[in-house]
Amino acid sequence: MADLHDELREPTEVGELDPPAARPGRHPGQSPPGAPAASATGTSDIPADLLPDLLTRAHALLAAHPVADGYSGLPRALRRLHWYDLELGEGAVDTDVPRLRRGHVGALFCALHLPDGLSGERAVSATLEQMDVVRTAVRAHPEALRLAQGAGQTADARNCGRTAVLLGPASAVALGDSPGILRCLHALGLKVLTLSGVSWAGEAGPTAFGEEMVREMNRLGVLADLSGASDATAARVLTVSRAPVVCARSGARALRPHPANLPDDLLRRLGVARGLCLVPLTAEQTGPSVRDVADHLDHVRALAGPECVGLSGTYDSGTTHPQDLADASCYPHLIAELLLRGWPEDHLTRLTWGNVQRVLRGADFAARAVQQRKQPSTARITELDG
Amino acid sequence: MSAVASSPGALERARELLREFPVADGHNDLPWALRQQVRYDLAARDIATDQSTHLHTDLARLRAGGVGAQFWSVYVRSDLPGPVTATLEQIDCVRQLIDRHPGDLRAALTAADMEAARAEGRIASLMGAEGGHSIDNSLATLRQLYELGVRYMTLTHNDNNAWADSATDEPGVGGLSAFGREVVKEMNRLGMLVDLSHVAATTMRAALDTSVAPVIFSHSSARAVCDHPRNVPDDVLERLPANGGVAMVTFVPKFVLQAAVEWTRAADENMRAHGFHHLDTTAEAMQVHRAFEETRPRPVATVSTVADHLDHMREVAGIDHLGIDGDYDGTAFTPDGLDDVSGYPNLIAELLDRGWSRTDLAKLTWQNAVRVLGAAEDVARDLRSRTAPSNATIEQLDGIERPAG
Repeated sequence: MADLHDELREPTEVGELDPPAARPGRHPGQSPPGAPAASATGTSDIPADLLPDLLTRAHALLAAHPVADGYSGLPRALRRLHWYDLELGEGAVDTDVPRLRRGHVGALFCALHLPDGLSGERAVSATLEQMDVVRTAVRAHPEALRLAQGAGQTADARNCGRTAVLLGPASAVALGDSPGILRCLHALGLKVLTLSGVSWAGEAGPTAFGEEMVREMNRLGVLADLSGASDATAARVLTVSRAPVVCARSGARALRPHPANLPDDLLRRLGVARGLCLVPLTAEQTGPSVRDVADHLDHVRALAGPECVGLSGTYDSGTTHPQDLADASCYPHLIAELLLRGWPEDHLTRLTWGNVQRVLRGADFAARAVQQRKQPSTARITELDG
Repeated sequence: MSAVASSPGALERARELLREFPVADGHNDLPWALRQQVRYDLAARDIATDQSTHLHTDLARLRAGGVGAQFWSVYVRSDLPGPVTATLEQIDCVRQLIDRHPGDLRAALTAADMEAARAEGRIASLMGAEGGHSIDNSLATLRQLYELGVRYMTLTHNDNNAWADSATDEPGVGGLSAFGREVVKEMNRLGMLVDLSHVAATTMRAALDTSVAPVIFSHSSARAVCDHPRNVPDDVLERLPANGGVAMVTFVPKFVLQAAVEWTRAADENMRAHGFHHLDTTAEAMQVHRAFEETRPRPVATVSTVADHLDHMREVAGIDHLGIDGDYDGTAFTPDGLDDVSGYPNLIAELLDRGWSRTDLAKLTWQNAVRVLGAAEDVARDLRSRTAPSNATIEQLDGIERPAG
């Protein structure tokens, strides 16, 4: 039933009459007021006298609309850490149950990305091993974590007071160039796949086989992740995909020239296609302070629209995080900053939870529709791409 | 199909018995045949239609044969690169077959699922992996195969792997290595049956020493009747009552008929000389086989040959530890009267003629197979409540380096 509630809170999903670009103008608060700049000398960007009140509001908001974190590196971090105990707190990682609770994380996408250089059989095998790490961790903490794949399961987990754990994004190399393996990984719970690092989604854009794989992902309800994909691949997949696409780790390139950050035109196209840009909380991609992250969120919201922006904690991925956003417990601080900037509540609830629910639902819905018409793909890369 | 010399009425009684207690067959290589013949284009080999010119298996013949449960083998060759990738594709093939034929096939993961399928009149479809090479020396990969529905794993195929010796290879680790024993224990913990077909006798004994759950032989006959390394020696059969396991007799002529053992050795040589893998069953390969048969007639096994094995195994292991397996679509040749998956009633008729009781036959065809899977589940439930998934690596236990992922 929570699903239905989400629908009711988002009338724009039904009508889609407002062009996303028209929205930011209605909220003058989006351009940073002078106050944060004045406080930049302190450890926090937020004036000390406003902070308690803002944090209270942030906690209240997050309690009802938790964070769906689009990217966690936890599987790789736990791989060599067999003695971990997430329930009681685990200092060796950025993510554990007490901190997930303090940060109001309601859903966590567990990345299955592989180290560079793995391909073929090793990549398939290593991806299975990472899935095993996640399953084992979830089974070991049944009071806190629950595996989920679609929108309904994610909402259910949340309603049971658990953090929904979703599998993905995985690397496209994990597929071993085979739609059969995509189906097996989906059967094991895979929800997001990053389209980079393979011959069929390269600099020149997706090949015939690549487009077939996107269609098969649509048929299964696996979301395409375009962070790190070539511009040509991103542009083409936005057209081909029947389900919303995500950028699991992308800020705004206009603010910070990182290759995984999205240029303005792509952000606009993502908004038109009603995809989702999940902004990472990393010093490298979004900047060293909470304000920097908020600037990216402002920018993405302005260009793609408030229904197309989300959050990726990117914790346990070996990256440096902005000050005050060191681990999974720090989301209230970011929300406080956005409250200070005048983000209206409905934008914030979409940012934290609603937008991820929307794209999950979109993928599930597209899958049901495509399955009516399309048989499982038997495409072979040697036949389609030569 | 050639005439079978069963007594009048025996065949009808066999069919009647199979309606109540259908065959739970331990091993069918249809997925591999579909991979080789049409690269998983399931529409090109639609098993809802007659496939007798291409395959041993289709739905109508499974029904005619009284098959009520089938372990579909997700076998991949051990001498080709990419065994995990290929195994996943085989699993995908089985899942697709089940999806395409919901009226005839039912996905089964447990003994209860098998019984439910029987009650519905559908064929319980389970999966078995054939060869430890399918897990790429990784217990995590083993667990994911279990998650995908694999309910038994044969520890080796025709070649040794790093942790277990095959019956048809030189001695390697001398049975099971330390990691091999860990694999068996983890399979116990999961509820995945340990399959000892294809493995060396040393591996059989080591696995029986290690496993706390019943084991199976998914497709092996008796070595005392036909001396072939793929068959089970008596000392191992004698251990099945204590273990609770099941040996599923296979029909493959080269394993059950002594004369065929020699002939097959020569025929395999001939295949290799013509540039084929000796297990190849594609049309071109079969032409080479047929030409060879012209020059040297093939010794023909019959229903009675298979029944001889069952009589002996019953003597040694006991009626509660027997099962049936045709190895259809995984073998070039089949015995007369057991030419394809429709042939099981002929075997049951032969056994009725030999005085096997209805109770015995119900155990042979159905009950033993269901019991053994259920017993593995019981052991797993107990182990899972007490032990965590094993993190052991082959590097730690056997000192074999495995590329990091």
